[in-house]
Amino acid sequence: MATSSTTGRTTGEVRVNGEARRLDLDSRVTLLDMLRDHLGLTGTKKGCDQGACGACTVHLDGRPVVSCLVLAAQCDGREVRTVESLARDGRLHPLQEAFIRHDGFQCGFCTPGQLMSAAALLAQRRASSADEVREAMSGNLCRCGAYPNIVAAIRDVAEQNGTAGDGGPGAARNGAA
Amino acid sequence: MTAVSSGKLLGEPVDRIDGHLKVTGGAPYPSDFSYPDMAHAALVQSTVAAGTIRSLDTAGALVAPGVLTVITHENAPALAEGPMTNIGPSPRFPLADNRILHHGQHVAVVVAETPEQARDAARLVRVEYDEAAPVLGVGNPDAPVLTDPYGMESSRGDVEAALAASDVQYDETFHMAPETNNPLGLFATVARWEDGRVTVHDSSQWPAMARQSIATVFGLPESAVRVLVPYLGGGFGAGLRTWPHAILAVLAARMLERPVKLVLTRPQMFTSVGHRPESVQRLRIGATTDGRLLAVDHEATATRGAEEMNIEPITMGTPDAYAWPSAATHDRLAALNIPNPGAMRAPGHAEGGFALESALDEISYRIGMDPLELRLRNHAEVHPSTGLPWSSNALRDCYRVGAERFGWSARPAEPRSLRDGAWLVGQGMAGVTFSRWAAVCRAQVSVGRDGAALVRCAGTDIGTGTYTITAQLAAELLGLDVEQVRVELGDSDLPLAPQSGGSGLALALSGAVEDAARNLLRAFLDTVRDDDSSPLRGRSLDEVAVTGGRIHLANDPSAGEDYAAILDRHGLRELVADGEKDPSPPEGLSMAPAGAFAAQFAEVRVHEELGIVRVSRLASAVDAGRVLNEKTARSQVIGAMVLGIGMALLEETSFDAGGRIANATLGDYLIPAHADVPDLDVAFVGGPDAFNAVGVKGLGEVGVVGVPAAIANAVHHATGRRIRSLPITLDKLL
Repeated sequence: MATSSTTGRTTGEVRVNGEARRLDLDSRVTLLDMLRDHLGLTGTKKGCDQGACGACTVHLDGRPVVSCLVLAAQCDGREVRTVESLARDGRLHPLQEAFIRHDGFQCGFCTPGQLMSAAALLAQRRASSADEVREAMSGNLCRCGAYPNIVAAIRDVAEQNGTAGDGGPGAARNGAA
Repeated sequence: MTAVSSGKLLGEPVDRIDGHLKVTGGAPYPSDFSYPDMAHAALVQSTVAAGTIRSLDTAGALVAPGVLTVITHENAPALAEGPMTNIGPSPRFPLADNRILHHGQHVAVVVAETPEQARDAARLVRVEYDEAAPVLGVGNPDAPVLTDPYGMESSRGDVEAALAASDVQYDETFHMAPETNNPLGLFATVARWEDGRVTVHDSSQWPAMARQSIATVFGLPESAVRVLVPYLGGGFGAGLRTWPHAILAVLAARMLERPVKLVLTRPQMFTSVGHRPESVQRLRIGATTDGRLLAVDHEATATRGAEEMNIEPITMGTPDAYAWPSAATHDRLAALNIPNPGAMRAPGHAEGGFALESALDEISYRIGMDPLELRLRNHAEVHPSTGLPWSSNALRDCYRVGAERFGWSARPAEPRSLRDGAWLVGQGMAGVTFSRWAAVCRAQVSVGRDGAALVRCAGTDIGTGTYTITAQLAAELLGLDVEQVRVELGDSDLPLAPQSGGSGLALALSGAVEDAARNLLRAFLDTVRDDDSSPLRGRSLDEVAVTGGRIHLANDPSAGEDYAAILDRHGLRELVADGEKDPSPPEGLSMAPAGAFAAQFAEVRVHEELGIVRVSRLASAVDAGRVLNEKTARSQVIGAMVLGIGMALLEETSFDAGGRIANATLGDYLIPAHADVPDLDVAFVGGPDAFNAVGVKGLGEVGVVGVPAAIANAVHHATGRRIRSLPITLDKLL
């Protein structure tokens, strides 16, 4: 995006969930607030605005980021995917189905972030054991305490589609979701 | 009509009916609502803990780009005081005058066109204070202390004489750090006025109270206020008050004649919406050397904000926890220059349970008896205070089943007898007797020509599963599939409901739904009373049953018809019925209504040199009466256990010497993360409760209560060190 120091505005184009979006924003707007306040994608949640809770996790060029710590101005020409893109053609993503089946949420507020982190985890083949999942998911807080069910849901999907990984040093860490 | 309680304990583990919305990001939480032309508010908070505002300069903020107004005590209109609720008076309004009573008190609210503009301008408000010395700390001699502030102190028997005559005289003091609820959802208020009426999306666990509060404060009839909370990003008690920030958002929207959104920041979540107060407890217990508990004296001091009130009944559960012949409780409440505390999941019980169940563990070691055996010996076969039989009590089964699943019998008694390399391993347990609480609830149930039902109630689902269990219960009562029941909650225009709190909503709401369903079936039978073409003509409620979407004769399922046929024939679009449950025990009841019971078992690993504590196993056996949905109920219990892990090992809101919270972020205030939580074991035991028709007892909080003591007892078993102060951080073990 182009940012003007005189107008304090930033302009550019971001692909969000596969769709090109032209934006003209206050340059202070974060990726999180861009999604929520300017694109109406309120599925991504703000739990701290300080990068500490993981509720705002989205994929930026295929990598999980906490969108509260990314400025919209940093996203020009880049690809963003949010929880709204997980289901395709009206069919839930296997992780979404597994979260429902295992009751991997209560209030549901952290769920979009948990799902996006979990999707990245599977793409990176880092779900070889419950302990590996717990470690890798520890940036996503859940105050309702649904952790055991979230871990079970992720492990279930990993086992089903063979994306558990061996947890070894060769496991890819930068794969796209 | 058959009664709901079929005697089976566990309801079908149906997936949450709101699950699809929650995993797709489609569930609307209060902060997700927006309106065209909406303005955004940001708060300015006091940087001192006590004193007065000497001067307040808003000029810089007012000329900043996009700023619409700045509201302070100097220009805020006078507002009425909020109402008294069933958990105490409303919070003090901070812009009523220039006094500062705690660090982080709201002193101004800046409203601008965008959130970025409001946030920036909030930093331009200049406030100067005449600072006074704050009164801080639960034991501070300068703090005004209320005696018996809740009117809940109790006494039976001659406690002092019994203590003096006891072979074993236990007398210890416990401390608990303040904790902060920290629901993940930042509390938000979106207010929109239109023609003298206001619609408010507010992070409330209690829409009816929020409506009443806003109506009272702004001098409106309750019918002019609508509070909507279809989904809430957790509350854990923080949503049980209508907080000043919500009032300020409604006020700003009225002054600007525009919708206003105010979302708290995470640091503001520490100072604006309550917390579990710091507490100190002294527990004296007299026992015989063969393990009979003779007397207990329990004194507890909690904190409140200056000129505020909070109910933290720490000693409440003690008199009826065991069959001690003599018991006395004493409650104290110290006023400090701190943000007012509030309810946090299992208020009172969580603190009291930690002290009581730690004390029993200590006594068991003093007399050389297994901790579980000591509890069994003192089990309250009848309700101790009244001598009445319990409406249900499966605590013995909790102990038995929990111990079996955990493998308690294999535990060596001696502390420091289990080890895995550098890690000392220990096992501990605790029992829980939770108090029963519930308030009046109403619900409306209707069935339309599509044969589907709609249940409506003002109560909220804060993640507990209320939508789902309500649908399941209505389906069972009306003979429908769960998919045929729609549930509308979280709207103060719907039939009145109490808070989603105190483990009371499921009990009250299930009773109201049961009553409404009964009235609805009666309405259908009334409709065909003189209908010659109906096989149900002239039949009464006790002659019929419902299955497969049909009302039929109980003794002849072939004689009946479905709801749609009746509505069709009589030209009705739907039939609607209201229900109400007053769950308070009537005078002269021959049983003691029981709350939930539990036995909880913990295994910890403590690093011998570093003092790190890890929970390796945690198990709960719970008697919650009839469980409406095994899946969501288990989730409630594991979630409570996770909160218990935090209370035991991690959570501490740290006030510095100036009264500022020094760790008011989620990076500094530690709550359990994935890696802190092992697999958790939950078993439900017991049967439907005898006092209410549905057989439900609340289970939202019971799972917290025994965990801190079970962990502390396990730490003792691992290390030989008895820690009577929470959280058990590594510095206390080095």
